[in-house]
Amino acid sequence: MRLMFALHKKEVDERWTAFEAEAVPLMNDLFRVAAWLVGDRATAEDLMQETFIQALQSFHRFESGTNCRAWLVTIMYHMNSKRLRTGAKLRLVSDTDERIAETVAFTAPTPQGLSETEVLRALKSLPRQYQEVVVLADVEDMAYREIADALAIPVGTVMSRLSRGRKLLRAELASYANTFGIGKQGEERLRSTSEKQGGKSDAVS
Amino acid sequence: MLCRDFREIADSYLSDELLIETNHDVISHLESCADCRREMAARRELREKLRSAFVHAPELQVRAEFSDRLMAKLSEVALGQERTGVTSLSGRSSANRRRNLWLAIAACLLVAAGVSLIVVRQKAPSRPQVAATEQHQPETKPAGKDPLGANGLREVGPRLPVNIARLELAKFAVGDHRNCAIEFRLHEKPLPLEEAGRRFDPVYINLAKAVLSGRDGLPTEAELVEAHSCVFEGRRFGHLVFKSHGRIVSLLVTDLQGKETNAGAPPQSGASQDQITACSQLDGYQVSCFETAYHAVFVVSDLPQNENLAFARTVAPSVLAHLSRTEGI
Repeated sequence: MRLMFALHKKEVDERWTAFEAEAVPLMNDLFRVAAWLVGDRATAEDLMQETFIQALQSFHRFESGTNCRAWLVTIMYHMNSKRLRTGAKLRLVSDTDERIAETVAFTAPTPQGLSETEVLRALKSLPRQYQEVVVLADVEDMAYREIADALAIPVGTVMSRLSRGRKLLRAELASYANTFGIGKQGEERLRSTSEKQGGKSDAVS
Repeated sequence: MLCRDFREIADSYLSDELLIETNHDVISHLESCADCRREMAARRELREKLRSAFVHAPELQVRAEFSDRLMAKLSEVALGQERTGVTSLSGRSSANRRRNLWLAIAACLLVAAGVSLIVVRQKAPSRPQVAATEQHQPETKPAGKDPLGANGLREVGPRLPVNIARLELAKFAVGDHRNCAIEFRLHEKPLPLEEAGRRFDPVYINLAKAVLSGRDGLPTEAELVEAHSCVFEGRRFGHLVFKSHGRIVSLLVTDLQGKETNAGAPPQSGASQDQITACSQLDGYQVSCFETAYHAVFVVSDLPQNENLAFARTVAPSVLAHLSRTEGI
């Protein structure tokens, strides 16, 4: 009988079943990260496909019981880096940590009552390196250690970026709230403005 | 805890990244400070709003038709129906399109080469039939000339791999040669052959000894520089590394994971199963392979094809004898 070189069918079936149970349900979550990461649907779909095929082929390395979402995100970042290298799209990004640290010297109170659109808009306004850690930590609920592994940076860097990113986000939202009269500070500001203009306080209420 | 301290670690508290003692400090502070309670509630709300915004943003939603196609693609890959590469589902990646074009051209060349080979063989009926797929068929031995090689082994010239599975396994062998013997970047620490033999596959035990003390020994100028068991992409190999003419040559033994498949048929023995096939080039390396009922052996190097094949022919008798002994054939 002809010798078999392929993986045994049973093994393949088991791997596929496990993959279906662990990884496939995370497809929507991963796509959101991919779409946010690359900013383009077609590229995000290509990245998703490459990520999931790579994940399937490497699924024997996944340790059952660990965070499959973090594992997939790590693969996705790896595939995206590879894609960027291939496309020679690498660009130097100056580290703005110091500048940001100076800019966000105080902790802005967190405004409330903002819409989802406003929150997303504020997030998009952050420098890229802060966006990604905030998304992975606060949206995807990944631990600092998992984010460090996915981005291939030290945990300390994750923590400092998160701290600054969150401060920036709050500052951006506070600024937005003040400008458009959302929240307590905005109300006070608009009230004083309208009083100066002749008591048109109806607009505030 | 001061309010200023609380505000620095409030997000880490929400992420459950603080030590238990610090968590207690935060809770104590929250019980006594209304401002910080409001700030905590605001941060929690912001985080929930951010998650909700992500879940609902139209531009971040996966299309149903894309997920369907991706599932179909994954299913194909899982079943091994597509091993030649990844095609673009969105159809918009020019890199993928170029790759597909090259794959199509390569496939055409392979088919053409295969057809040519068949035509050549049909025109030369007196030559012994040596294709691996025909090993069960009775063969006639031409008078006056041994169709087997000098070592009693069948040999074929460079030709295409007889099936995709053989090619897949050869790719693993080449990958292990490159990762382990050339670039030293294995993910798992290699094990001594004796230990790997006890834990995984008894054929690894005394593998190096069998090769060195075989009737034909090693090819001229070849010396054994390393012997261990290592893993590449989840596949374990018994790995002997030689230096020959200043080049690194790997001899890799791996089990076929197909014992169940062979259970219905008696294991083959003797010369009919022992073939050396030059699998042409893979990733810039020459690969020669031979096999027993349960194991495949690869010789991988960047030597010229004939030298790589000669190396395999020299070591094959002792390796096959060792494998057959250990497999109990």
